[in-house]
Amino acid sequence: MARQRQQINLTSYWSWRPGVLVAFGLLGLVTLVFAAILGVRGDSVTQAGTFWRDIGDVLMITTIQAGLSTVFSLAVGILLAWSLRHRQRFPGRRLLLSLLSTSMVLPTLVVALGLIDVFGRRGWWNSFVADGSLDLLSVSIYGLGGIVLAHVYMDAPFVARGLLHRLENIPAEHFKLARSLGLSPWQRFRTVEWPALTPIIPGQCLVVFLLSFTSFAIVLMLGGSPRFNTLEVAIFEAIKLEFDLPRAVALALVQLAVCAGLVMMAMAFRPGTAQQVVRRAAPMWPEPRFAFVLQWLVIGLFAVLFLAPLLAVVLNGIGADYAKLFSSSGFRTAAATSLVLAAVSALIAIAFGLLIASSQRHLTSTLRSGTSPLNRVLSGLLSFSGTVYLAVPALVLGLGFFLLARSSLDNPTAVAPLALVAANVMMALPFVLVILTPAMAKTAQKYDRLAFSLNLRGWSRWRLIEWPVLRQDLGYILALAFCLSLGDLGVIALFGSQDFSTLPWLLYQHMGSYRTTDAAGIALILLALCLSIFFIVPRLFEGRSNAET
Amino acid sequence: MKQFIKTILSATLLLSAPLLSVSAAVAADKPTLVVYTYDAFAADWGPAPAIKKAFEPVCGCELKFVATDSSIGILRKIQLEGASTKADIALGLDTNLTAIARNTGLFAAHGASTTALSLPVKWGDPVFLPFDYGYFSFVYNSEKVTSAPTSFDELLAMPEDFKIVIQDPRSSTPGLGLLLWVREVYGDKAPEVWKKLKPRILTITKGWSEAYGLFLKGEAEMAFSYTTSPAYHMIAEKDHKYRAAGFSDGHYMQVEVAAIVKASKQQDLARQFMAFMLTPAFQDVIPTTNWMYPAAGNRSLPAGFEKLHVPSKALLLSGEEVAKNRKAWVQEWLDSVSK
Repeated sequence: MARQRQQINLTSYWSWRPGVLVAFGLLGLVTLVFAAILGVRGDSVTQAGTFWRDIGDVLMITTIQAGLSTVFSLAVGILLAWSLRHRQRFPGRRLLLSLLSTSMVLPTLVVALGLIDVFGRRGWWNSFVADGSLDLLSVSIYGLGGIVLAHVYMDAPFVARGLLHRLENIPAEHFKLARSLGLSPWQRFRTVEWPALTPIIPGQCLVVFLLSFTSFAIVLMLGGSPRFNTLEVAIFEAIKLEFDLPRAVALALVQLAVCAGLVMMAMAFRPGTAQQVVRRAAPMWPEPRFAFVLQWLVIGLFAVLFLAPLLAVVLNGIGADYAKLFSSSGFRTAAATSLVLAAVSALIAIAFGLLIASSQRHLTSTLRSGTSPLNRVLSGLLSFSGTVYLAVPALVLGLGFFLLARSSLDNPTAVAPLALVAANVMMALPFVLVILTPAMAKTAQKYDRLAFSLNLRGWSRWRLIEWPVLRQDLGYILALAFCLSLGDLGVIALFGSQDFSTLPWLLYQHMGSYRTTDAAGIALILLALCLSIFFIVPRLFEGRSNAET
Repeated sequence: MKQFIKTILSATLLLSAPLLSVSAAVAADKPTLVVYTYDAFAADWGPAPAIKKAFEPVCGCELKFVATDSSIGILRKIQLEGASTKADIALGLDTNLTAIARNTGLFAAHGASTTALSLPVKWGDPVFLPFDYGYFSFVYNSEKVTSAPTSFDELLAMPEDFKIVIQDPRSSTPGLGLLLWVREVYGDKAPEVWKKLKPRILTITKGWSEAYGLFLKGEAEMAFSYTTSPAYHMIAEKDHKYRAAGFSDGHYMQVEVAAIVKASKQQDLARQFMAFMLTPAFQDVIPTTNWMYPAAGNRSLPAGFEKLHVPSKALLLSGEEVAKNRKAWVQEWLDSVSK
């Protein structure tokens, strides 16, 4: 026993220190960013009294908005994942999964305009019901409903993808047992499927809530009134309009505090149930008629709802002059820059994600490190460092990087690619970790004893244990991180110049000077790129054993 | 695991190397004049390329445009860089920013003669020199809207399903323009006007692009933009259906200005550029690239511009007045349209 404990320590030393270092390094960088901003003399100083009065209402209304967005994203995600789990084979299933993933990674302006084409005042839906004199069914996308719709549109597919993967990993025996006990689909969901979903739901809710909580362009564009403003709007105002940097930092810190609170809540809710790992989704038996119909209805309905705005993006973009676009050197440079930055950012995000997730599992595994209070604190910090970037506004991050670069370098523009990569990595990490952390914890729970007794370590352990389990997830998050970086406007605003731009920046530039058609063309190119990435990359990561799933 | 990470790290370094070297290469033999401007001005299709081509032979220098995301972004970038800024000239601030910009003390007198200016308003600012101007206005599609309002009062009397889409004054220049326009026309009654206008506001967007995009999709009857917007559709797209709604109240103006950065080491070259700015070589580029009126000279405008609505009365508040009241007025606006 004593010898075995020693081996475990040896193994864990290497497997968890780098992750903690990465996490603290990133937290340190964020701290530096805030410090750098506070170091600049701003224009005015806000009084504490009005500060809190102003943000009270904002916090309240944003919490309601983000809460609704989270609840609906989760509901849609569960329904969709459950239906797709039980309808494993139909033509276009794979394409549908890839298409669903793109709604989250496209620039928000593209998504919003696509939704408006479908659900706007003059959109397809309202024209359709007006033609059929079904005025009762007409919808208005402007208001709280529109904001929530857009957020659900962007986030529910991410939730669904994560949940679907958990459902596919439920061992066939569980379903066999459920069937031999004669459980109804609802009973089966409660006893077999729901427990498999609970470990990742808190993390997913956290991500969706923070995304909605910090939404900016969408809440203004679809809100209809400034009533639904988020803190992000106030931060923009403080930095851009008033140059009141201390106020901006204070507001950003409020946002961080909310994030920290949520991380703690998510940790408290995270149940420690043991997870199973299977290599192949269990085949299913025929379902009762109503469940069968419900599953097809859900898939059909959401396929139409999710694909229609993307179709609008395609139709808008199809008339663009691509020969002219492709021949312009500005476009080619922006495209090359975007692709390289996205590839670099995605690889670093995955590497960091693996390191942090392996530290996290070390600290939470009773076999490896016991349950000391120190470990719980460290583990909380890791969770916080993995989600904090969702709460740090891109504007604050960009400003901070700019100031840091300026204080240490003669030509801050030269570090623009680095700043963009750093921002992209930070933005992708929360999504990467939401998927990797539970998956890594699972392999530890299942294989640690065996691995330690066989003295399986380092590369061989990774190859034999983690890789087969994680490869599918890795393919998906690599595609996700790549496309997130591709579609992000992020921190480029302060660094942009004639020599340095990205595709989304170019898109906004076209939009900003009446060139709507060219902008729509770039949007279509981004959509096509993201779609091919989501279609191809996960395939590269699949083994032969489960190529058919 | 370690090996895996090593591979990833080295791949990363390899991939990022060419990116880093791109921005390092800068021609050094000629003097370089650096102009910070907003993105649409510096774009391939904006005024920058033609201006660069015209000015470089005259000055024997290299003219370099650096784009920021917005008009205010130009000022904030120079402010952040302080004395070590690379900018010699800030081009693209508007009159609502001049007081704020002046107070930073970062800008020097332009020294150019202003006799060539042909603005509808008097101009005597020693630091900020206009290069173009425009009038804010609502733009509509004449195939869908047959009787557009001709004043704010008429707009307020339109049915509630006559929707307009406007911009947020906290994040957008036109948004602030509309706020000031209503303020100029109605004075202290502005909050009531906003309350009456509110049911007709479809939505309030972060920037001009979103609002105009919504309008082009037919979501709103009118979008807040410029009287010169129809010129783009007429000239670049041969599309004559878009019109600006002329308001008898007069139209609020936007005057775009440039200034020399005090910390610039190219003061002579910068002054040469400021003088060049008011010459035909610069001014003639403006109408069909920036879609605004040139600030100097009374030469003929490109075909199509004669069809635009020219306001009989130009409204403009001084930068000082805007700077003093903006916060209170924005708060008042928020209270009126949020309830």
